[in-house]
Amino acid sequence: MANVTLKIDGRSVSVPKGTNLVEAGKTAGVFTPHFCYHPGLPVVGVCRICLVEIEGRPKLVAGCATPAEEGMTVITRSAKVKEARRAVMEFLLIHHPLDCPMCDKGGECTLQDYTVAMSGPATRFKFEKNTWPEEDVGGKLILNKNRCILCLRCVNLCKDVAGIEEIAVLARGEETYIGTIGGQKIENELAGNIADICPVGALTSKDFRFKSRPWELKNSPSVCTLCSKGCNTIVGYHPRRDEVLRFTARENMDVNQWWICDRGRGQFHSIHAPNRLSGPVRRDNGSVKPVLWHEAIPAIAAALKSVIAKSGAGAVGVVASAELTNEELFLARTIFRDKLGVANFDFPARPQPPVVYPKFTIEGDKNPNTRGARALGIAPGQGGRSVRDIIQAAAEGEIRALVFLRGGDLDTFGDAALVARALERVELLVVLDTHASPVSEKAHWVLAGATHVEKDGTYTNSQGRVQRVQRVFTTSRDIREDWRVLQELGLALGAFSERVAGAEELFARLAAANPAFRGLTYTSVGELGAPLASATADVAVG
Amino acid sequence: MSGPSGAVLTKTVHLPNSHTLDVYRQHGGYEALAIALKKTPDDIIDMVKRSGLRGRGGAGFPAGTKWGFVPKNTDKPKYMCVNADESEPGAFKDRLICAKDPHQLIEGTVIGAFAIGAHRSYIYVRGEFAAEARILDAAIAEARKAGLVGKNILNSGFDCEVTVYRGAGAYICGEETGLIESIEGKRGQPRLKPPFPAVVGLFGCPTVVNNVETLACVPHIVKHGWEWFAGIGTERNTGPKLYGLSGHVVKPGVYEAPMGIPLRKLIDEFGGGVPGGRPIKAVIPGGASCPVLRGDEIDVPMDFDSMTRAGSLFGTGTPVVMDDTCCMVKAAWITARFFAHESCGQCTPCREGAGWLQRLLWKIETGQGEEKDIDTLLSVTDQIEGNTICALGDAAAWPARGFAKKFRDEFIQHIREKRCPLGGGSLN
Repeated sequence: MANVTLKIDGRSVSVPKGTNLVEAGKTAGVFTPHFCYHPGLPVVGVCRICLVEIEGRPKLVAGCATPAEEGMTVITRSAKVKEARRAVMEFLLIHHPLDCPMCDKGGECTLQDYTVAMSGPATRFKFEKNTWPEEDVGGKLILNKNRCILCLRCVNLCKDVAGIEEIAVLARGEETYIGTIGGQKIENELAGNIADICPVGALTSKDFRFKSRPWELKNSPSVCTLCSKGCNTIVGYHPRRDEVLRFTARENMDVNQWWICDRGRGQFHSIHAPNRLSGPVRRDNGSVKPVLWHEAIPAIAAALKSVIAKSGAGAVGVVASAELTNEELFLARTIFRDKLGVANFDFPARPQPPVVYPKFTIEGDKNPNTRGARALGIAPGQGGRSVRDIIQAAAEGEIRALVFLRGGDLDTFGDAALVARALERVELLVVLDTHASPVSEKAHWVLAGATHVEKDGTYTNSQGRVQRVQRVFTTSRDIREDWRVLQELGLALGAFSERVAGAEELFARLAAANPAFRGLTYTSVGELGAPLASATADVAVG
Repeated sequence: MSGPSGAVLTKTVHLPNSHTLDVYRQHGGYEALAIALKKTPDDIIDMVKRSGLRGRGGAGFPAGTKWGFVPKNTDKPKYMCVNADESEPGAFKDRLICAKDPHQLIEGTVIGAFAIGAHRSYIYVRGEFAAEARILDAAIAEARKAGLVGKNILNSGFDCEVTVYRGAGAYICGEETGLIESIEGKRGQPRLKPPFPAVVGLFGCPTVVNNVETLACVPHIVKHGWEWFAGIGTERNTGPKLYGLSGHVVKPGVYEAPMGIPLRKLIDEFGGGVPGGRPIKAVIPGGASCPVLRGDEIDVPMDFDSMTRAGSLFGTGTPVVMDDTCCMVKAAWITARFFAHESCGQCTPCREGAGWLQRLLWKIETGQGEEKDIDTLLSVTDQIEGNTICALGDAAAWPARGFAKKFRDEFIQHIREKRCPLGGGSLN
């Protein structure tokens, strides 16, 4: 598209034709305040805080609703503009409670920031403020209309991104309010984004309410692992409480734009769930007891070796998981398939119907790393069995040792009754997982692994984009990052003889060994990810 | 209700059954449509441009120029919308046409549609005008039966449907893009402009929105020629005009006279002066949004340019006369209350500012005001004006500022005496 050149506060800037003045300002390094404008939503131009002056025009214009034109001279620092913004702030605050000390948004509130930056010292409005009761509007959101400035972001998110008009602007004049239609609750699974984009404390998250001040959180970039989309997120960890308190969306134009779904947003609950495994466990003839890692690993290695010595590698089945990171899958493949010669090596698909919204799709593949698993050759070896057949063979007694790199519900792996029989029948059942499950409950050895916020690693999303997660905090649980567990097991099994210093080095080895990952490093993957070498080729070949 | 001899727009309104096709045709009705359909659309636009016809909805924009903005080379359908949402306090002139001479409007609408190449027209009727909507519906049915609306009008090959669309009672739907949103079935909220309706209007298609009276003028221009029309009124304010006169006058009502008639003449000669011969304290010349004039400022011709020069606005040309019994603070408050109530609530300055003005005025009216409230009031009007999406913000700001500036002494008297000196301060 053709570019236009304009001047903003004396700075010359070239932007694509049609770019609005808020965005053009960003390019020029000039900040234009805005409440209603959001790059991912339709322009409504209602808040009027982005008013700017254009040389030669008598009236101020809304920057968000005005496209840059060739030769235009935009002024955002004149007395006229400053006064208009002060005026808008004064208007916005006349019915606003200014209850920042008890508002959840305080500390990350646009209105609060602008009040400090461009509002007058005191209000001249000496009348009673309009007030409204708080309201549960569904979608894990609480609506406080007193704080609402009617920017319409919530309405437009539901209408435009989710395609469902579940929240609307009602009444008129100063009685205008945001509300659900006919008292119905918000049900779309993108509604949680409203709490992210609400520029005030009007729509806040029930999950996060009164838990923490935003500035108390340690925020780290991460990636959601609930489906193959790989939405970019921010993990909000509260160090004093030693607890992850929220996941929020992180902008990545190539993956999730500005949004995440409510399932992903709510995933943080599972980190501290009561069924989290708290350390390695040995189950023997009905007795369950915690064990030490340095006892468990050699014991498991010895047991595996003994099965192989007795019945051959064909008597071992390894059910890997595309919930694991690329690094972990690389180790699993090296240890089990390449070194031990276990051909019965596969991972279960976990499909569900996708949820398709007009501008956001929740992928149907519930594995976050299917693409990585395929690129790393997580598949049966010569004459090896698929997951279903591994279960069958175990139920029939042909396979005598089963290793699950993630557990889950029985029907994840085939017919539940058959899976149950297989788990009962094998003489060695080892499960590496984060949460207790019907599979781990049968295991002789349970190894407590880490969730994606407790370890370093990478996932490859459905587009073939490699994206990093990182250890946000060190838990007090006796768990290990899964790649470390696998590394120790590999050493004990003699699959390799030296340790890597960290996940980054492991990734370097993975990239050196796998053409699809060639050239990628943690640095090049960065915070926004990078495509597999083969991802672009895949697309080109179609 | 009838104008003086030589009336154009109100020629037949006093006749029994003036709203019927028979009566309309007996007096030359739909002859202009027959003439128009034999011309080219560009001829019609040119004719209207030359006639000098300015929009009668308040802004005074040249009607022919507005029609000329509609793109010619487009595959999209075009729409003609008639603004019959007359809701401005003081204005009741379009209602007369709808009720008493609906065919004049329909004829003008079809000619207008022909000029811009629209095959569908909507008459957006104010929600409260239930009777007028029924009359318009009946008139459209008559016209359709007579081949004046619908397919192949007067065997010209030109098709034009005309549909009545009733509003739900919002002043803001008289703003042209609010009207368009409302016809689309949405909340009546003005759109950001540009794009203007001539390019992106109803259902995203090129659209013209014209006032009722504007379109009622069109058949006369076509029939008698633009020179004739331009010869009525003054140089830049041509044609006949309906003046809706109300307030403290002996004979309130709708009067027809040329554009540019002196305001005082309108009050004294047409309205019969003020009852009891009381002095005129103030006149709102063109509907509630226009800044008030003091009684000593009303020797002004009633036209767009003269009223602007006088510091007010011609608006819809519908003066509200107030005698010396009228409290200016209360008048300002009533006006402010109206605009606060009718603000769509979309953009900040109007939504919040209009309510603030109302509160300040009520505070002063009830004797609780402070002198700094007047400054706050004026400053709030400054903060609203020009900073909103549509003109309703201005419409809320101008009258409040007008009253406070023109009658500052009376405001101060309220504050000092801590009461309304005229016995107001109550809702009655």
